[in-house]
Amino acid sequence: MTAIETVNLTIHYGQKCVIKNVNLKIPENVVFAIMGPSGCGKSTLLRSFNRLLELNPNAKVEGDVRLYGRSVYDMNPIEVRRKIGMVFQLPNPFPHMSVFDNVALGLKLNSLVKSKEELREIVEWALKKAALWDEMKDRVREPASALSGGQQQRLCIARALAMKPEVLLMDEPTANLDPVATEKIEDLIYELKEDYTIIIVTHSPSQAARVSDYVAFLYLGELVEVGKTERVFEKPENGLTERYLTGRIG
Amino acid sequence: MLREVKEKLFLCGIATMTALTVLPLFHIIYSVAVEGLPVLLRGGLEFLSGTLAPPGDGLGGIGPAILGTFILTALASLIGLPIAVMTGVYAAEYPESILGRLTRTLLTIMMEFPTILVGLFVMQILVIPMGSYSAIAGALALAIVMMPYVAVYTEEAFRNIPFTYREAAFGLGLTRFKVVFRVLAGMAKKGIVTGMLIGMAKVAGETAPLLFTAGGANRIYFAGVDKPVGAIPLLIYNLVQQPYENYHEIAWGSSLVLLLIFLAIFLPLRLSLKEVKL
Amino acid sequence: MNVTSEKVDTFKLSLLSFCVLVFGIFALMIVIYLTASVPIFQKEDIQIYTTNVWKAVEDNPDEEFYGVLAAIYGSVYTSVLAVLVALPLSIGFAVFVIDYAPQKIREPLIVATDIMAGLPTIIYGVWGAFVLVPVLRDYVMRPLYEHFSFIPLFSFEPAGGYSFLAAGVLLGIMVTPFASSIIREAYRMVPFTYREAAFSLGATRYEATKILLGYIKPAIVAGILLAFGRAVGETVAVSLVVGNAFNIHPSLFAPGYTISSLIANQFGNAFIYGYMVSALFAAGFFLFVIGLAVNVGGLIILRRYAHAQRG
Repeated sequence: MTAIETVNLTIHYGQKCVIKNVNLKIPENVVFAIMGPSGCGKSTLLRSFNRLLELNPNAKVEGDVRLYGRSVYDMNPIEVRRKIGMVFQLPNPFPHMSVFDNVALGLKLNSLVKSKEELREIVEWALKKAALWDEMKDRVREPASALSGGQQQRLCIARALAMKPEVLLMDEPTANLDPVATEKIEDLIYELKEDYTIIIVTHSPSQAARVSDYVAFLYLGELVEVGKTERVFEKPENGLTERYLTGRIG
Repeated sequence: MLREVKEKLFLCGIATMTALTVLPLFHIIYSVAVEGLPVLLRGGLEFLSGTLAPPGDGLGGIGPAILGTFILTALASLIGLPIAVMTGVYAAEYPESILGRLTRTLLTIMMEFPTILVGLFVMQILVIPMGSYSAIAGALALAIVMMPYVAVYTEEAFRNIPFTYREAAFGLGLTRFKVVFRVLAGMAKKGIVTGMLIGMAKVAGETAPLLFTAGGANRIYFAGVDKPVGAIPLLIYNLVQQPYENYHEIAWGSSLVLLLIFLAIFLPLRLSLKEVKL
Repeated sequence: MNVTSEKVDTFKLSLLSFCVLVFGIFALMIVIYLTASVPIFQKEDIQIYTTNVWKAVEDNPDEEFYGVLAAIYGSVYTSVLAVLVALPLSIGFAVFVIDYAPQKIREPLIVATDIMAGLPTIIYGVWGAFVLVPVLRDYVMRPLYEHFSFIPLFSFEPAGGYSFLAAGVLLGIMVTPFASSIIREAYRMVPFTYREAAFSLGATRYEATKILLGYIKPAIVAGILLAFGRAVGETVAVSLVVGNAFNIHPSLFAPGYTISSLIANQFGNAFIYGYMVSALFAAGFFLFVIGLAVNVGGLIILRRYAHAQRG
């Protein structure tokens, strides 16, 4: 089954075209990486999936994005964002709230739980899924700002998972983390793909090689090549891809 | 050689300018303390709670004025704060819109507006139809003076929240209302409260907006929002212009009280921040 | 940007209504001032602003005649004085605090000026009336009058000491902190490379400062304009020291009126006369316009300067 599909997706910022006619079919329950040099539209593409792009008044989207066959533009953006979770490049747990409240926020404000008991259960479950429960279980009332960078990022993953999304988007999630924290997150991604479709944007081809099942190479807004990770890395079909992988561009 | 002399003269010059700039503050505080403290000590607690003495004879107290200042500030906050915060939020959330930009400009203009004109305006629309001075008129005038400060601080507080938190909140599928008021507001809280306190400190010391609105009350404590009410600045202004020596003493004593109230709110506030807009 | 695709953006609408309310109040103010001034304009035309008359006659409205030229003169005179005081003080303060002051006294100095900017103006007024005026009278005005009264500026005999000079000096003290915060900010933000360039040419600190001040000139102009706007709008402090007399006189020592002190002073008994209220509103409207013009001008200059800095 295709989890996310883009159809002739073209995105402009004002006059500038940042995504040109991208057609992607992302299967479910895989880790799908989108790689490419900085500034070539990867983050923009990701944000078009959960319609977060609309926070920018200059962004214009043409074409379609479909979640399990249904156009996200036929849905209420709020509904889209509940079904598609997102983790950002700079860990951004809400600093004035506790660890618990951060994870619980989406559930509480969207009235998705009926009792405090249920809320606590889901928060615990999400923190376990994000490999944070063991470290945090006695410290859930601490402010989120007290955590280390790697812990904060896992907190953000827990916050997204608590919403039980169908797809999880990750925008360069380890770009600001040290190698140890990065490894922990990459291990986490590997475990999560059993239950979720994970789309990860990365500027590091080696990370794409490590974590993903499928990879797409985006260059200057155009989809250059896409396919199973092993194949793309060993036998890239496009010269541009090869030059990127061998470090000659990017 | 000449250049070095110029250099030294220059340094002396600007040091003098600096001293002259802040010297008045110290002299004012000194004068108010020296003239006002004996009055307070003579008047005792009665000075703070009692009613005004007759001309030329004794001190009595400025109780009604103190109470009036608190009532007016509270009422003004009640009226002005909600409007100001909402306006500030709009300007922060829609900075590109025409109304948003105009609003920001208008607020900056209103911060510099002669406050006597605000008082005159409220007099025309409220005091004259009502037929008398009133607390509500005074409070409305103060609210109009207070609003720009609170709105500007609110807008800045929201604008300073890094965009990534906004994305994270929307990413959870929250409506804009919830993003702004249930998530971002928590992060803007410090800035908003600062703005509120600065606004309140400012209007507690204002005189001109009250001249034709609040009316002043020296012997009655509080007769109702539609009746005249006293205020410390107003009282001082009236007393200073009278020829009686005891009234001048009361003016100094009241000035000390007002100074202390102002510093009590302003000083902690200012010391907890890096800078203020006034 | 309607990020949640609701049919009607209720969020924007509800907030918008508050903005509209604020604009509404401002617009209503303009309307009220205009309509309240109509009677006196109908009676006297432009003479309300061009003559110095204050004929208040009870029971006979036709006999009344008002001209607030003295107040306009006084407002401008005292505010110009204030700016003359504030200009050197605020520039000197800004340069000292940023370039020379050791860290330990820099912060307290800035806090001190912030306190001064927010201090209740009535306190300035009380200090001005009871402390500043006697000192100015005895140590400045009397000696100058005794020896130099042939100069028009010093020609009026100082009586109580309530005068344009007292008002100008007091206003100068009051608006200096405000002007200096604008200039200080602009001076602080001068890109470091310009400072480096000035010193690399072998300039002394004095010479370098002159260059940098030239660089921030628009900000200084804006600061002065905004200080003028503040001074012209100040009421209680001025009314306690300016003397409150209808007087158009070149001397610093003469008492006078400003528009705001005229309104404050005369309004108490204005209701028993036919046209005085309208005359005072007309004066207020004039103040409204000057205040608006000066403040908008200052803000525009400041914004343009800030834009040029960023670009």
